[in-house]
Parts: sequence; structure tokens; C-alpha cells
Amino acid sequence: MDGSILESIGVEIIGVMSPVSICMLLVVLIVYSLTSFSSSSGEPIRTAANLVYLETPTDSTSEKIEGSLLNALVFVILIAAVTFLLVLLYYYNFTNFLKNYMRFSAFFVLGVMGGSIFISIIRQFSIPIDAITCLILLFNFTVVGVLSIFAEGIPIPILLRQVYMVLLGIIVAAWFTNLPEWTTWTLLVALALYDLVAVLAPGGPLKILVELASSRDDELPALVYEARPTVSRNPRGSGFGLLVGGASSESVEVEMTRHNPTDSRNGGDSNETMEETSPLVPSLRDRMRSSSSGSSEFSSTTDRIHQTGTDIIEDEEVDLSALGAILGMGGNESRRGREIIDEEETSRGIKLGLGDFVFYSVLVGRAAMYDLMTVYACYLAIISGLGCTLILLSVFRQALPALPISIALGIMFYFLTRLLMEPFVVGTSTNLMMF
Amino acid sequence: MTLAAGIGYVLLALGPSLTLFVTVISTKPFLILTLLSSTLVWLISLIVLSGVWRVFLPLKTTAWWPYAILILTSIAFQEALRLVLWRGYQKLEDMLDAFADRVAKPRLYLTDKMQIALAGGLGHGLAHAVFFCISLLTPSFGPATFYVDKCSYGPFFLISAIISLAFVTIHTFSMVIAFNGYAEGNKTDQMVVPFFHLIAGTLTLVNLVSGGCIVGIPLLYVVALSTLAYCGNMVWRRFTETQIRLTPQNQS
Repeated sequence: MDGSILESIGVEIIGVMSPVSICMLLVVLIVYSLTSFSSSSGEPIRTAANLVYLETPTDSTSEKIEGSLLNALVFVILIAAVTFLLVLLYYYNFTNFLKNYMRFSAFFVLGVMGGSIFISIIRQFSIPIDAITCLILLFNFTVVGVLSIFAEGIPIPILLRQVYMVLLGIIVAAWFTNLPEWTTWTLLVALALYDLVAVLAPGGPLKILVELASSRDDELPALVYEARPTVSRNPRGSGFGLLVGGASSESVEVEMTRHNPTDSRNGGDSNETMEETSPLVPSLRDRMRSSSSGSSEFSSTTDRIHQTGTDIIEDEEVDLSALGAILGMGGNESRRGREIIDEEETSRGIKLGLGDFVFYSVLVGRAAMYDLMTVYACYLAIISGLGCTLILLSVFRQALPALPISIALGIMFYFLTRLLMEPFVVGTSTNLMMF
Repeated sequence: MTLAAGIGYVLLALGPSLTLFVTVISTKPFLILTLLSSTLVWLISLIVLSGVWRVFLPLKTTAWWPYAILILTSIAFQEALRLVLWRGYQKLEDMLDAFADRVAKPRLYLTDKMQIALAGGLGHGLAHAVFFCISLLTPSFGPATFYVDKCSYGPFFLISAIISLAFVTIHTFSMVIAFNGYAEGNKTDQMVVPFFHLIAGTLTLVNLVSGGCIVGIPLLYVVALSTLAYCGNMVWRRFTETQIRLTPQNQS
């Protein structure tokens, strides 16, 4: 395998970007094909996102802005309250309740919201199908979805899990695109700001959640897309999460976890020798290194191989123990970290919260209602924002919010495209002039 | 039927680049990232240009010279941007080489460098096709089509798809030529790229004349094909040179 390094750099980034792209593409297609879907209902639906103010096209601009700001405020407060509630529940170890709640909400989203989207698709394309078959299919679809998202003890292929995660994102996003225009924009901005606060500020709910989850070596009690096909899940692995959080209860995290595939209790020596002779190791290491994205500046972050013996490893060690101390998770953790540091092979996967999927897609879906040009511009802006976030993630190596940069860029590009670029491009290309 | 026609237009404009993407780019994640960032750069350049020209648009006159100025400034701006891209690429290449040294992998091969240039060029080309052709195609999926007065030989969508295919080709391969030219310090390679771009841009001015597209489009394709031929010739030359250089080393 003397392949060039081009093949190994950026695998993880693409692993996150491609599902996001697929999600956005499908949402755009749904929005396009179901434009009658939102208008046919006539009555604007009242959801949590427009509790205060119902936008009507006849309102004046100032009324719209005021009302949509109020809507966004109420929605964000609602989300914050729910997230705090979840954190409290998690703090007091109501894990089972949380899991069942997640299952229920996944069931609800897939079954009811997804069902109504399917029905409108069936109507739109007049697909001949009878009610009973449709119901059975929908029920099966939903049950498999719930099982695959929260499978414990059942070996579910990670691909299925990923597919269902993306589907959940699509369904929720398709619903959010029914919101009126101004409310959507203010809501997106407000959520991006909330995301920033909730993940980075001390005492932010998502920050607490991440720290709790990492101190317990636990799965996050949230819907999170995992980019990496899990090699071997070690429940005791020292996966302290580096996490990019976001908004909403069903949300929103980009996480970098580390798992040590080798069981640390096996005793160091045998492990080490085995690894060193095993032909698998080089590829594993390569993969591991390659996971540290784009450029060489931060490639060091995963460089854990003791042969290379640079100061990076020491940094790492300090890092681990310091974090252990700060989180107060007992000396045990950090000591173990120190012991196994040499033979520990880390594989990191990037995790992206479902909320990010949803709100990226909402932005693109909203752009799709204007023109295709804005869709492309927003897509590029969001993807590059995500790229920036991932680069920042590997620099700072802590939980980062994935929404702010992308949403800011997306909104900026939307309005730039709409106001500046469109007249220019339409003007020149309808004259058949290009350059 | 219109749906089929719309998809046909899309494939006409983007078919070759799609093939390139699937066969060359998509297997290497880094190239995908290069492609995306180069698309973004092109989009930003377009936004800047349209921000400058927004004041004067829409042009009320039927005279050709404002359009000529528009095209000339745009091309000048984009060629300047190519130089900026080249600077960025040099930094990137250094970083990649350093990274390759660290993980004990071979440095960038010649083909790798060319592939990066190809991905960058394809990004430009894709962005061009997307913004000038595909994004205007939305009405073509609907129940009607649209003819332009000055070129009524075919639907507007078909003609713009054909033109943008030529431009995708020019953009894609001129990036390869330009990067190679900068790397070798070859003046002809460096100068030929703005030349092709300029010729292609000015040829679209012919479309302003009524019925001019019947002359303009074949000439545009001549430019596109000569870009392609020039690029192929240059790549062939580079490869034979490096092979000659490599063989004695292997024997000794």
C-alpha cells in the first residue's frame, strides 16, 4: 500500500460531510416535490416554534421581525428548559427513563411525522398503495428504526443506524421547513447563538451533559450520528468525549471520542508485543493518523505511537490526567490513563448531533423555496462552515458547537446570493454570455 | 417529458465532470475537499464581482461594450484569483509533504500534484456550470420551455447547457495547465491560460448578435478542444520527461 497520502487525509471529514450532504439533498428534494404540501394545509400549523406569533404574508415587516424574534426567544427558552431537565434526569441517573423517552420520541418522529410525509409523497406522485399495506410497512419501518437507533445487545449494522439517523434528521427538517420565512431565519440565528452558549459557557447544559457522560464512560443520552464504524466497543474504554453540542433535546453533538480497542486490563506486556508483531497494526495506525484531518499542523493530535517518541505524547498524558483531575472522576481513571498510555491505540470518530443535521437542512430547505442558486450557495457555505468547525475541533480538542459558523456563513451567503448575485448571473446568462 | 428534458440538460452540462468526479476524485477524500474549497472560492469571486457590478445592472442598453467590459473585468479578476490559489496551493503542498514525511509515506507524486490541480479546476468548472446553467434550469422541469430571441435555434436551456459544457472543460483543464506552468516556471504555459479564457469569454459576446450563436458556439468548442489538447500534450510531455529521468536512476 504505497498509495499516496491523498487517499488517507480527510477520510473522517468526508465521513461526516457525506451524510450531511445526503440529508440536505433529500430535504431539498422533498421541499421541491412537496411544495403543495405546505400550501395545501392552508391553516398554518401551530408548533412549538411559533407559539407566540403566527406569521401571515400581509403583516408589515416590523411586525414580522418582532413576532419572529419573540417566537425564536420562546423556542430557545423551551429548548433550554427541556435540555436542563434532561441533564437533571441524567445527573440523577434516570438513564432508563431517558432511553425510553428517546425511543418514544424516535418512534413518534418516524411514525407520525414520517408517516404524514410519506402520505403526502404518495399523494403527490399518486402511488397506488392500499392503506393496510402502507400501515404495515410504516410500522415495520418505525420499529426497525427505533431498534436500530437504541440497540442494546442487538448487533445492528452501523450502516442501518446511520441511515436511520439521517432519516430522522430529514423528517424533522422537512417539518421545520413549514415554518414561515422570517421565523425560520430568526430561529436559526437564535439556535446558533444558543448552541454557542450551551456548549462553551461554563454551566451550559450541553457542556454539563458531555462532562457527565464522559465521566461515566457512558453513551451520550442523545441522538448522535457516529461517523466511524465502531471497531470494538469497549464499555470501559476511556472515551471522554470531546463534543460539539447543539440545540434541542434530541440533539446536536459533534463528538470526538476515543476508544481503546484493546482492553486495558489485559496486562500491558502481552498486548504490546502482540500489537507490535501483528500485521494489522500499521494499517490501524495509518488509519488513526489519517483521521486527524486536513493538514499537518494538527496531525500531531493522534500521534500516539511510542516509537515516534516526541513531546506530543507527553502532552497527551498531561492532558488525560489533567482532565481526569478536573472532572474529579477519581484518580483511578487518570492512573489507568497513564498506565495504558503506551499501548493504547486510539481510534477517534467524529460525532455529529442530529440537531445539526436538522438545522443545516432547514436552512437549505428554506433556501430551496427561493431558487436553486441559493441552495448551492448555502450548501457550500454550510459545508465549509462544518469543515472549519472540524478543523477547530482538532485544534482545540474539546466539545465545540457545530451550528454557529455554518449557520452564520449559510445565512450570509443566502442573502448575498439573493441580493447581489442573482441579478448579475441571470442578466449575463440570459444573454448567453459566460466567462 | 419535461423532467426527462431537464435531467438531460443537467447531464449534458455536467456529464463529463461527473465522470471525472466518480473515477478520479471521489476515491480520494482529500481531492473532494480540494474540489469543495475551490468551488467555494469561485463562488466568493462571483459574489464579489456581482457586488461590484450590482450598481450598473440591469443594463438597459443594447450596446455590446458594457458587456465587453463586464466580461473583461471578470476574466481579469478570476485570473488574478488563480495566482492567489497557486500561492495557497504551494503552502498546501509544503504542508502535505511535511505530513507525508512524518507518517513515513512517500511525498506527493507528480500525478498527485496533477490530480490536486485537476480537482481545483473541476471545482471551478462545476461552480461555473452550477451557477450559470443548472441554477437556471428550474423552470425547465416545469411544463414549458424558453427560447431567447437572439438564438432561436434551440431552447435556451439546451444552448446554455452546451455553452457551459465548453466552459467546464476550459476551466478544468486550464487549472492543470496553469499549475504545471507555475511549477515549472514555463512562461508559455502561464500565458496560454488567460489567453484561452479571454478568447472563450469574448467569443460569447458574439451571442449578442442576432443568430450569432450559430458561429459563436462552434468557435467556443474549438477553444475548449484546444485547451484539452494542450493540456493532454503537456501532461504527456511531463510524464515522458520524468520517465526518462527516472530510468537511469533505476538502472544505476
